[in-house]
Amino acid sequence: MKKYILKRLLQFIPLLLGMTFISFMIIQMAPGDYFTQLSMNPEISPLTIESMRRDFGLDKPAVIQYLYWLKNLARLNLGQSFSYHVPVSFLIGQKLRNTLSLSIFSIFLTWAAAIPLGIFSAVKDGRWQDRTLSLLAYIGISIPSFLTAMLLVFFAARTGAFPVGGTISVFNISATGWEKFADYMKHLLLPGLALALSGIGSLFRLMKNNFLEALGSPYITTARAKGLGEARIYFRHALRNAVNPMITIFGYTLSSVLSGAALVEIVTNWPGMGRLILDAVLSQDLYLVMASLLIGGALLILGNLAADIMIAAADPRVRLR
Amino acid sequence: MEKTLEISNLEVSARDGKKSFAILRGINLCAEPNQAVALVGESGSGKTMTAMSVMRLLPRNLAVDRGRILLRGEDILAMSESQMRHIRGKVASMIFQEPSSYLNPLFTVGSQVMEAVKNGEERFEKTMKMFEDVELERNVYFQYPHQLSGGMQQRVMIAMAMINNPALLIADEPTTALDVTTANGIVLLLRKMMDKYGLSVLFITHDMSLAASFAEKIGVMYAGRLVEFSDAAGIFKSPLHPYTEKLIDCLPERYAPGSRIRTVEGSVPDFRQLPGGCPFHLRCPYKITLCTQRKPGPTLIGTTTVRCFKYGDDGQDS
Repeated sequence: MKKYILKRLLQFIPLLLGMTFISFMIIQMAPGDYFTQLSMNPEISPLTIESMRRDFGLDKPAVIQYLYWLKNLARLNLGQSFSYHVPVSFLIGQKLRNTLSLSIFSIFLTWAAAIPLGIFSAVKDGRWQDRTLSLLAYIGISIPSFLTAMLLVFFAARTGAFPVGGTISVFNISATGWEKFADYMKHLLLPGLALALSGIGSLFRLMKNNFLEALGSPYITTARAKGLGEARIYFRHALRNAVNPMITIFGYTLSSVLSGAALVEIVTNWPGMGRLILDAVLSQDLYLVMASLLIGGALLILGNLAADIMIAAADPRVRLR
Repeated sequence: MEKTLEISNLEVSARDGKKSFAILRGINLCAEPNQAVALVGESGSGKTMTAMSVMRLLPRNLAVDRGRILLRGEDILAMSESQMRHIRGKVASMIFQEPSSYLNPLFTVGSQVMEAVKNGEERFEKTMKMFEDVELERNVYFQYPHQLSGGMQQRVMIAMAMINNPALLIADEPTTALDVTTANGIVLLLRKMMDKYGLSVLFITHDMSLAASFAEKIGVMYAGRLVEFSDAAGIFKSPLHPYTEKLIDCLPERYAPGSRIRTVEGSVPDFRQLPGGCPFHLRCPYKITLCTQRKPGPTLIGTTTVRCFKYGDDGQDS
């Protein structure tokens, strides 16, 4: 097992190199660069722009630029943002924390709701409880998350029950640690809910189907034939088998942590990475884009590794080599 | 002595929307203590559904309409689901055709046997003793189903079924998925269990000769009906029902090597569109007009019960 994890972690490096190289080249294929826009400005002389390009190394071939970027990455330097004139790591730092807390919070909400509801619906298959939940799930899947977010923001603005936008309240400067945390969570609730509501539906349906399939398996007949109680049949025999396919899905969920939240972040004015990355892509702020892709790629690979390890732990038929 | 299993006039139907189809009709059979009773018949003749009725584990769309099932004199059809839970595994238990899919892949086989133990004390010791009984090594306890061969998996199933020393074991084609030598081992093991624990076995198979060598009584099923219930010793010498006769006529061991084996022409009718009258009349060489009009009732000849107009008409329609 240890050997397997080590091997997978070593594979991590070439994978990440390949991924960053390809994305670097694709970004460079777009016509122009960040400074093309500046050249529209008559107050900036072409000479200044040329020297700025040279300062950032943009006059060199793309491959050389990539190697420079790699060299800096090895020293944990993610480069400088063109538009903000500050290090990328400084820009991302705070926002990454917000995005991660939003995503993890909404993933937690989604799973905590979808798994038990899915089981409940499978047990009540075909009855009114199941049909009500399935209808709600369809509605949830059909409504895009940004619309849910807008509705929630509207609700928050009308009732004043929840803060609209931001991560902290203004009066909060002298608050203690716990109060600060509670305040942060209060701000987090609306965007987190908006993000979760659209995810619950599909996850619920998956879980319900998995559980139904497990309940129809021959080993459930065996469990009944030896006189086990319903609780033991559901929560030992069926649940363990139904949850295994969900683990892979969990691995993929981790990878969409950065991109998935962008729309909701923009609508609810949550200061996460969503808007930052969108602006960076539009203005071709190269190193900022690369940093976000790097984080996204790393999460994807780590998420899959985590899922593989969890599956191996949960299913004796899976052997890691 | 009280019979271990007694089924009388069992009728089971399937519901498909508003329509209802007969699955089992007029099943009458019994098993004495320490007796093996075999049920034979083609696929779809209702053998497994008879067994599932005894366990009260019929699929959702099937239900018992009429009849009685007594286990050691207790009417199980009148029991609540929670009472039934104490019957399953303790009074009657069951093993199946494909042990690999009937074992949960995620748990060690030992833990699956041990969780069947009804009485709280010395569960592990009991399990270990049962592993010895079914001729499995102790360390098999810690293995998962996929690590065992088909024969070993079936032994685990038998250990699981036998752990509470039940009165009746239902074996639903326990050897069909196994190769001949392994199958023989399983049959010998079942015999050993019967001798050691005074167990009764309801043995479901479509192998006539296996049924005759293993069981004392044989029930022949056709299209959801028990057409003949007879002593295993007599059935080869004097089969009464035309279907039984045909089945025995098909046994490969009755033919010289290289010669052509006869079969029962035609196929089992679909239970959704059973013919009127005797369900076998479409394939029966002795068909008379009465066969297409009414269903034959049970006739007792010696110790054999048979449902065929060849042996008279008692006027009962069932």
